[in-house]
Amino acid sequence: MNPPLIIAENLSKFYGASPALRDLTLKVRQGEIFGLLGPNGSGKTTAIRLLLGFLRPTTGRASVAGFDSWRRSVDARRLVSYMPGELRISGSMTGFGVLKFLSGLRGGEGLDRAVAIAERVMRLDLGRKVRKYSTGMKQKLALAQVFADPAEILILDEPTSALDPSARADVLQLIREAREQGQTIIFSGHVLSEIEAVCDRVAILRRGRLVHVEDMGARRRLRMILARFAGDTPPPIPEELELSIRRPEGAAWLLEHRGALGPLLGWLATADVEDVAIGTEDLRALYDQYHGPGAAGDEDGDGADNQDEELSQ
Amino acid sequence: MRPFFTLEGKLIRDARWSLIFSALTLFGLGWLFVHVASLNETKILKKLSEVAPGEKVRAFRWMKDIGLEEAPSSTAIMMAFWNHPFIVLVVAIWAIGRGAGAVGAEIERGSLDLILSRPISRWSYLTAQALVAIGGLLAMAGSLAAGAFIASWYNVLRTPPDWLELIRPAFNLAALGFAIYGYTLLFSSVDLVRWRPTMIGSVLTLGGFIARVIALIPIFKDAIWRPWAERFSIFSLYNPVDAVAGREVYSFDVSVLTALGAACVGLAFLFFTTRDLPANG
Repeated sequence: MNPPLIIAENLSKFYGASPALRDLTLKVRQGEIFGLLGPNGSGKTTAIRLLLGFLRPTTGRASVAGFDSWRRSVDARRLVSYMPGELRISGSMTGFGVLKFLSGLRGGEGLDRAVAIAERVMRLDLGRKVRKYSTGMKQKLALAQVFADPAEILILDEPTSALDPSARADVLQLIREAREQGQTIIFSGHVLSEIEAVCDRVAILRRGRLVHVEDMGARRRLRMILARFAGDTPPPIPEELELSIRRPEGAAWLLEHRGALGPLLGWLATADVEDVAIGTEDLRALYDQYHGPGAAGDEDGDGADNQDEELSQ
Repeated sequence: MRPFFTLEGKLIRDARWSLIFSALTLFGLGWLFVHVASLNETKILKKLSEVAPGEKVRAFRWMKDIGLEEAPSSTAIMMAFWNHPFIVLVVAIWAIGRGAGAVGAEIERGSLDLILSRPISRWSYLTAQALVAIGGLLAMAGSLAAGAFIASWYNVLRTPPDWLELIRPAFNLAALGFAIYGYTLLFSSVDLVRWRPTMIGSVLTLGGFIARVIALIPIFKDAIWRPWAERFSIFSLYNPVDAVAGREVYSFDVSVLTALGAACVGLAFLFFTTRDLPANG
């Protein structure tokens, strides 16, 4: 397992008495794609700004490759390429001018690659003034720069919010390629299917608190089984099977299984099953546990928030 | 150093049109006032020599109030015109614009995030901003002096100015602009928007200018508040006539203006490098 590159320890940010982020503790490993999920105001952007050294932590600390994000902000940012939600820069510059300027701020590195990505992948006309670009084109321009930067860490804040479906697919592919090159990516967004498609782990934030970290590899192996048994209750489940009962669903039972399929199918064949359906569970179901209608708990301590310590490790 | 020069280059490009316009305006004003001085030199000298204590205000009488002595040089007469509000206005507008635009406006636009997400320190960012502003102020003051100097070739003056003579008052003007830039930058460095530091800078500058003008009106000469009005106006430290007359007060004026500007810029660095930069909007 790769060592952690980004570390947040009890990281909090308060504006007066109002908390924007509370006690965030997490580690992002090198070469990992780490998703940040949560509605507006959940603390995603605050966490990113604390990592970039834009905000001073009220308590706790954040570090990037060992550099304190506040005290050694420039050293930390040397390793990071960040794409804000929207590219806001002088409209009088051409697309090429923007790339030249942004790469110049990093010592001129990555300009050729940025031009290549912008022209070939993003299909942008770099000779045009940025003021004539649509919002989506500006976003593509910023993404071209980020993916070209020779940085160890890419922080993408809603990178696909203004893009068309084909461009979104291109961006997800670039993210995967970045990981293959060993880059670490923090991907903050609202589009669950995209997060699900590329992330290795996903953190769910709510009202400034980290409420859950999901291992997406394990989630992809997760199978949901809806089965109706001949008896009123399921037969005993062998200990070696990674199977658990989630809840009854009418006359049937909803079970979740995280192991290999063979033993599960073997057990189902021997159990007195009248009907069975096996499927997967998407990220939406998990997200809705914390943010959906009837999500448990509130900010002052409840089931969800009480899991913080356990889940943030 | 390349990141710094890249940023500096962009700031210069962003400022170039307003700088060129302001510098050309000052060049024209420098030229114009030489022309006015040339046309009225004889008349002015006559008036200055005629004015007796207690005599009522007449044309060009105000020149005596701003330090012009009897039988001044042509350059000193020119310098009296350098107190014109147009000259001060052009410099003040530019200084306030650069000061307010340095931080607050960049946060408001959202462009500061993009710049500071690169390996650029806040210190470097503000240094680049300050260098553009200081360079611009010196260029504008130099342009005014150049306009006056070149105009003196084409207008008849009793004693044409020496180029070096014009440097001192021009530097006084740049120092005035630096002080205005300094306090506007200070407010900008702690703000999130452009309008507030612009408004505060404008009110302070306009207030100081009005206080100076009122303090110069002869009917308020004996008013008890007059010394205070003068003392609290930075415009009382801008005296181009004193600058060419070689009076000691020139050094004091320039030193105080420069120190005020430097102190404000220093505080702006302190605040900007230690403050939070929240997301705009």
